[in-house]
Amino acid sequence: MSYSAPNALIGGTTIGVVAVAALIGAVWTPYDPLAIDFMARLAPPGGAHWLGTDEFGRDVLSRLMAGASTSAWISLLTVILAVGAGTALGVFTGFVRGWVDRVLMTFNDALLAFPGILLALGLLAVFGANKYGIIFALGIAYTPSVARVVRGTVLSLREREFVEASRVMGNSEIYTMWRHILPNCIAPLTVLATSLFGWVLLAESALSFLGLGVPPPAPTWGNMLAASRAFIAQAAWLGIFPGLCISLTLLGINLLGDAVRDRLDPRMRGV
Amino acid sequence: MLRFAVTRILMAVPTLLIVAIAVFALIRLVPGDPASLMLGDLADATSLASLRHNLGLDRPLPVQFAIWFQNALSGDLGRSITSDQAVLPLVIERFWVSAKVVMAAVIFASLVAVPAGMIAAWRQNSALDVALVAVSTLLLSVPTFWLGLLLLLFFGLKLGWLPVVGYVSFSDDPWRALLYLIMPVMTLFLHEIGVLMRMARASALEVLRLDYITHARAKGLSESVVLWRHAFKNAFAPTWTLIGLMLGNLLGGIAVVETVFTIPGLGRLLVDSIFARDYPVIQGCMLFIAVIYVLVNLVVDLLYPMFDPRVTAE
Amino acid sequence: MTRRLLFALPCALAVLIAVSPAIAKPLTVALNADIRSSNPGVNRDDNTDGVILNVVEGLVAYGEDARVKPLLAKSYEVSDDGLTYTFSLREGVKFHNGAEMTAADVLWSWNRYMDPKTEWRCLPEFDGRNRLKVVSAEAPDAHTFVMKLNEPSALFLATMARTDCAMTAILHKDSVKADGSWDKPIGTGPFIFGEWKRGEYVTLNPFHDYQSPPGEKPDGYVGSKRPLIDEAKFLIVPDAATVKAAVVGGSLDVAQVADSDVAELRQSPALDISTPQVATKHTFLFQTRDPLLSNVKLRQAIAAALDMKQIVAAASNGLGTVNNSAVPPTSAYFDEVQRQGYSHDLQRAKALLAEAGYKGEEITILANQRVAMPSYPAAVMAQAMMQAAGINARIEVLEWATQLDRYQTGRYQMQSFSYSSRLDPALSYEQFSGPKDEQPRKVWENPKALDLIDQAYVISNEEKRGKIFDALHRMMIEDTPLIILYNGVDSVAYSKRVQGYSTWEGKPRLWEVSVAD
Repeated sequence: MSYSAPNALIGGTTIGVVAVAALIGAVWTPYDPLAIDFMARLAPPGGAHWLGTDEFGRDVLSRLMAGASTSAWISLLTVILAVGAGTALGVFTGFVRGWVDRVLMTFNDALLAFPGILLALGLLAVFGANKYGIIFALGIAYTPSVARVVRGTVLSLREREFVEASRVMGNSEIYTMWRHILPNCIAPLTVLATSLFGWVLLAESALSFLGLGVPPPAPTWGNMLAASRAFIAQAAWLGIFPGLCISLTLLGINLLGDAVRDRLDPRMRGV
Repeated sequence: MLRFAVTRILMAVPTLLIVAIAVFALIRLVPGDPASLMLGDLADATSLASLRHNLGLDRPLPVQFAIWFQNALSGDLGRSITSDQAVLPLVIERFWVSAKVVMAAVIFASLVAVPAGMIAAWRQNSALDVALVAVSTLLLSVPTFWLGLLLLLFFGLKLGWLPVVGYVSFSDDPWRALLYLIMPVMTLFLHEIGVLMRMARASALEVLRLDYITHARAKGLSESVVLWRHAFKNAFAPTWTLIGLMLGNLLGGIAVVETVFTIPGLGRLLVDSIFARDYPVIQGCMLFIAVIYVLVNLVVDLLYPMFDPRVTAE
Repeated sequence: MTRRLLFALPCALAVLIAVSPAIAKPLTVALNADIRSSNPGVNRDDNTDGVILNVVEGLVAYGEDARVKPLLAKSYEVSDDGLTYTFSLREGVKFHNGAEMTAADVLWSWNRYMDPKTEWRCLPEFDGRNRLKVVSAEAPDAHTFVMKLNEPSALFLATMARTDCAMTAILHKDSVKADGSWDKPIGTGPFIFGEWKRGEYVTLNPFHDYQSPPGEKPDGYVGSKRPLIDEAKFLIVPDAATVKAAVVGGSLDVAQVADSDVAELRQSPALDISTPQVATKHTFLFQTRDPLLSNVKLRQAIAAALDMKQIVAAASNGLGTVNNSAVPPTSAYFDEVQRQGYSHDLQRAKALLAEAGYKGEEITILANQRVAMPSYPAAVMAQAMMQAAGINARIEVLEWATQLDRYQTGRYQMQSFSYSSRLDPALSYEQFSGPKDEQPRKVWENPKALDLIDQAYVISNEEKRGKIFDALHRMMIEDTPLIILYNGVDSVAYSKRVQGYSTWEGKPRLWEVSVAD
């Protein structure tokens, strides 16, 4: 509605800038993000290092750029995984109903009552501590919420006339599901996926902050923020810049999310 | 109402059972065990074996689970491997620490955010509305652990007004306890304002557009009566659900804030016991969190009709 | 400026101290975690040992030079065949409950420890599971205690004196309840175990009837041990930042602090800082059965690529000194030979790499980010230096429990790892040497070395042992199964009102300490 245009503009620009930084960061950074320089330890922003250096003399800007591409990659794959698995589960249970639905939904609810930290640590340790472990862990952690939303949509859709009509016309259940139900899930899914992207980014940073995320020395915004804690009195910039990056990205996602919602589903506006 | 409550509790039983089994299995898949952690680099095969035996870790997993489960049913969650404290009192003690922070933050946030959201909705598209929405979106976008660090940097280190880290319990010194709680509560409070204000505004907008509001206005009722009697009460229902959800989610997510401010709460206990592979404490924490989550949702659902007359009518 | 403000913070409040004006303020000492129990040598960790060894004592104990000296024993004699140890007990030594200590108490304590139900941590060291077996223990008269072994051992007394064995403490039998369960320690130490509030504090009170062993000043766990303070309170403060603020603010008298905070704390006018070395060893371990690292030339190349001075300076914040030897520098066995370590030589590293036929294969260094452990910074420095020499090194940071699991099972190429303190060189070598088939955690399995270590276990003659350790050191530098970097530093900050305080091997010793008001 009235904010849609500026929302989309500000959000889109922010996300665009982050995306470009992430893309560049994947191939080129001003310094090697892992190169240590003990002489230039904890150098404040300015001079040769625009955003200063950390406790090993590594360039903060380069690490932020490299971290952006890691975080973006993780968030993207996690959202794809969660949305894919959640949609499959939600459509299936919403459609078959009966005891299968009840059993699967009990599992679903159990997962929802399960703080992500433990799930993440458990799966990380089993799959190995790397970014794919995180993707798996967070993907599984967010699947249940997607499944819930999709199942709800499916349940309300299947009582509608056009689905009834498709059945009456003798179309198979699978055809009906594919042709009539799935396309109608796309609007709420797009809205959900946008906010999911933000949640995943936040969760990945939080996990790294607790020491359970992407392990150093590879930089992510979360583990940079976590490492900054020990130097907060001496080198505040170490904590300020990565936090600023996370916040701006989340702001961009939230604004963009609002715009997408207004566009696709006016009834969900502002929720 | 009573039947509803009983059914809901019965429905929660399989959920809790799955949580219990999953936690038990998952934490044992993770490499490293408490016996080797206690012995560290000194662990030779004989002492490792005898410590594992003493801790009961050498029995088959199903047996271990059966023993734990049987005890858990009688309210005994075992003893911590690292501190030898009984798990249930430990978890409850830490829970109160977390609960104090979370409750204070959610109550203050509701008091500010719900009216603010309503006002924004009432004056939709005014400069005030735009400003409120902008502020709430901004607050929503700042991660709590960073907000915490910023507050710490500013009020703790730059201004020196508030103690940086630590915790004092109320029974020891209420005044100092408050000082230590200000920043963590403020951190959560600011974040929750963002979430709640958007929710409250959205629900109020929905309600204000309904016929009966127009009707009420047309009857010539004063604007304050319309808002209070008709709009507010109805708009509060979805927000109430969200407050409930938030309480549950915060318990799982509070570990981050507790880490920033070194508060000995439930989240920190869980993370620390994961690092220490303190199986009984992990299991106890997780089960407790799951139970709280189920209970909070139950209470929310039971109280929902109070805020939404449409539900009672059905 | 920021630092000033930091000091001015009311953080001092962080710690709960009940001060009533009439009584002198107790000596307050920070503990980063609660003690596990009050049961010496049974349910324990380093903190537990540190507190409890102010309360209980054994027949023998370590002196500062890592030699074992009599404590509750006046003297001891070893028979010519090395199998019989006869201890003469000091007379007039009293337990905290006023009872006089006799050989009967020694025998009772020993038998309790040898009962598997007690779950003494060091039982496997004495019941034959780890070779040595005490075949009999007797108390022929009130002041004589006799023990017989299955074979001669150079380490029998050293093991009895180990702090993690609680010095094989001599306890009064009232320490145990009538049903045989543990009650509280009634020992002979300079302090009486006071009140223990779980998760908050432990208090110790001076034992006024304490009979100090001879000596002018404290010497490890022997020497003069008079209790001079009115009360000591160990406060449990898990968070390092809180400890720092509290010791600066004066609400803690004594606290172990992070190496990285030492420079900052030195500027505080109210504090003294001491940074004594301890016998922990910070190392890089190699898996000598790894297809790549089984090549000794490659291991030597890595050692030559490392500028250890710089690594140690970075990892210890400038407090540590390089020591490539397994013998701690405080030991009587630390001589010229032990000083000869690796030298940093990039050309040699490159030449060795070529000889080894190294073709840029990846080498993974495992590390963890435990607080107060140099694992991660040491690994980061080593990785950079290895890369500079053309070695494709990568760091994998694991959670400590996971890394420990990889250590136990030997599944790694290289890790940045710390060993706990071992004072006797033979015990220090034993930590990382042994057959990997039986014990996968062992690093060095050169049969000649294992044979020498075996000899050092049996031979008691100091000169002969010295030669063995010199030979072992040369072999270890040549084999490079691990790189010992430096010994840990125990940074302690204490208030200027405290006199005579010193830690030893990281453990707080409260005797001979006094407090000015």
